[in-house]
Amino acid sequence: MGDSGPGESAPRAVLACGEVRTCLLPTRQALDIRAAAQFLGLRADERVLLSERPNLYARSPDILTGVDCPLPTANGARVRAVGTVAARAALTEGRVLQTSAHFRLPADGPDQRQPWGHYLVRPGVVEPLGKLSHETVAQGVLGGGRHGELDVGLIADALLTRLLRHPLLDQRPPLRSRPTRLRWVALPAGPYDGPSIERFTLAEDELRTVRLRVPEGTPSAEIAGFCDDLALHDWLLTTVVRVLDGLTLGSQEPPARGRAGAVQDRPAVVRVVRPAVDHLLHLWMPRARVVKDLAPLWEVLEERPGFTRQWQALVQRIRDQLTLHAIGSLYREVELTP
Amino acid sequence: MLVFAASDKGGTGRSVTSANLAYQRALTGDHVAYVDFDFGSPTAAAVFDVPGVVRGTEERGLHSYLEGEVNEPARIDVWRQTEHPLLRARPNQSGRLVLFPGDAGGGEFATGEDALERCIDLLLRLNGEFDVIVVDLSAGRSYAVDMVLAATAHPRMRNVPFRWLVFHRWTRQHVIAAAGLVHKEHGIIKGGVERGHDEEALRGAIRFVRAAVPDPESPLWSHGTPAQAAWMQACDEALRRLAADHGIGDSVVLGVVPLEPILQWREQLITEEDVLSTQIANKETLEALEEIALRLTDDSYWGRP
Repeated sequence: MGDSGPGESAPRAVLACGEVRTCLLPTRQALDIRAAAQFLGLRADERVLLSERPNLYARSPDILTGVDCPLPTANGARVRAVGTVAARAALTEGRVLQTSAHFRLPADGPDQRQPWGHYLVRPGVVEPLGKLSHETVAQGVLGGGRHGELDVGLIADALLTRLLRHPLLDQRPPLRSRPTRLRWVALPAGPYDGPSIERFTLAEDELRTVRLRVPEGTPSAEIAGFCDDLALHDWLLTTVVRVLDGLTLGSQEPPARGRAGAVQDRPAVVRVVRPAVDHLLHLWMPRARVVKDLAPLWEVLEERPGFTRQWQALVQRIRDQLTLHAIGSLYREVELTP
Repeated sequence: MLVFAASDKGGTGRSVTSANLAYQRALTGDHVAYVDFDFGSPTAAAVFDVPGVVRGTEERGLHSYLEGEVNEPARIDVWRQTEHPLLRARPNQSGRLVLFPGDAGGGEFATGEDALERCIDLLLRLNGEFDVIVVDLSAGRSYAVDMVLAATAHPRMRNVPFRWLVFHRWTRQHVIAAAGLVHKEHGIIKGGVERGHDEEALRGAIRFVRAAVPDPESPLWSHGTPAQAAWMQACDEALRRLAADHGIGDSVVLGVVPLEPILQWREQLITEEDVLSTQIANKETLEALEEIALRLTDDSYWGRP
């Protein structure tokens, strides 16, 4: 995990960590590219990255948060660290909002805290005071730190909160969905090894954790890019699965003791799946923003658990449901009222 | 949809009834959040039978969240964390039921813009995630009431639908108090208008729920003497007139929950099991709760044909 930009002088990183928040943008209409640029213009001095191929994508400039606090460690050891965490926000197809914060850690740092100037020329680098057991910190980060310890998730969340207050948002989400969190660490791979996923877990309902190995010299922004992509597609799967959970199939007969109207009023198939068709199905595009060196990581995910395979099954199910309902023209004109 | 549960006095059955409404909505497949803004005495955890947090969570409750001490308030998945044996087996096709508990010992507090912004952040996030969000508010014209009045009048919340349920018992004092909470000088409507609400729209979004109402026809009272029955009828009639005179007559009542012995003994959820198998609860109570739960989103009960 090398350094980029002005951080060149920092020692080699042995660990990169980050967290991504992914949620549906709460607006009735997806933002177009110009609105996206306005929405993500977090800094006056830097432009928003905009891209229209292979899909509509906008990414804010990095904003830095200064930190000086203990790192989370698996064994409770206290390692103070000082530096800056880089955070950014991205919008895919004007519809899915992600905020992502990350930093990298060198194996050791100065024994004493340096003036801020020292840290400011190393954006996204957090230096331990003294030596660092990166394995302990990696486990500590994935396990979630204690109160007062460095928490990249909080930084990602603060950025999300800030963006969600933006006046461009009309707060009329087209469907109910849950935000997800993906927490990741990347350790150096062996000298001749390519990148690999050591573990990918769905910890709690909304929390995913990923442990990666990446070739030394991989910039942490690129690792964050891969993790953003993974988080986006994991969120899409999670969300569409839940949309389909909302379907009541079969005869919809009321339970023994008539629950007046409750069951019969269950939303019609079209009303349930239409928001997914309108807003989500076209978003599936794994690896669209992943650098070539890390692309092999996706092949592993496609093998097991088989992200795209599951997605295609879901899409097929939605299409089949719609086809069935097209046959019964009774349901054809259902109004969209989420 | 946001549903604010308010009452003028304590002991009106506000918390237990609104928790039951949340439960009923979740059974019909809605994803439901239950937000405990009863800062003085968080009771929701007890109603949902969630251990450990029975008096609010220690440090990550809504109070800490609003004060900016934590970024995200604690959430409790009721189906998974309840100790209620029947609730643990999450009914098929039910939606999620998530409790946002208050803090232990978090009383009312004075606060400003920051807490309001955070309150709006929370309500908006929940609005994106849940179909129905029941917000249980401290009794009276409390800080919690003022905060949500200000939040719902805020431009960021302009597209989020909300409704108010005002709970009161079926006695003279409670009827007068409930009417006062809504209509009087320092009531919800005046307070809302001061914060930017449209008076008519706000008035149209408020309905009353009469709780713990003795039904003279019910078998509970059938053993009384004819004199008692006649007296009860007369009282009931007088209360109806009183309610109508105070602007909370039948036309703005969303439902009536009959007096339920188990709820007098213990704040709890009324399940189908309680009615059908063990028969400790009355069928009428469960039906009333189911009915009110449905009417929450039935526009015809909210003056919108």
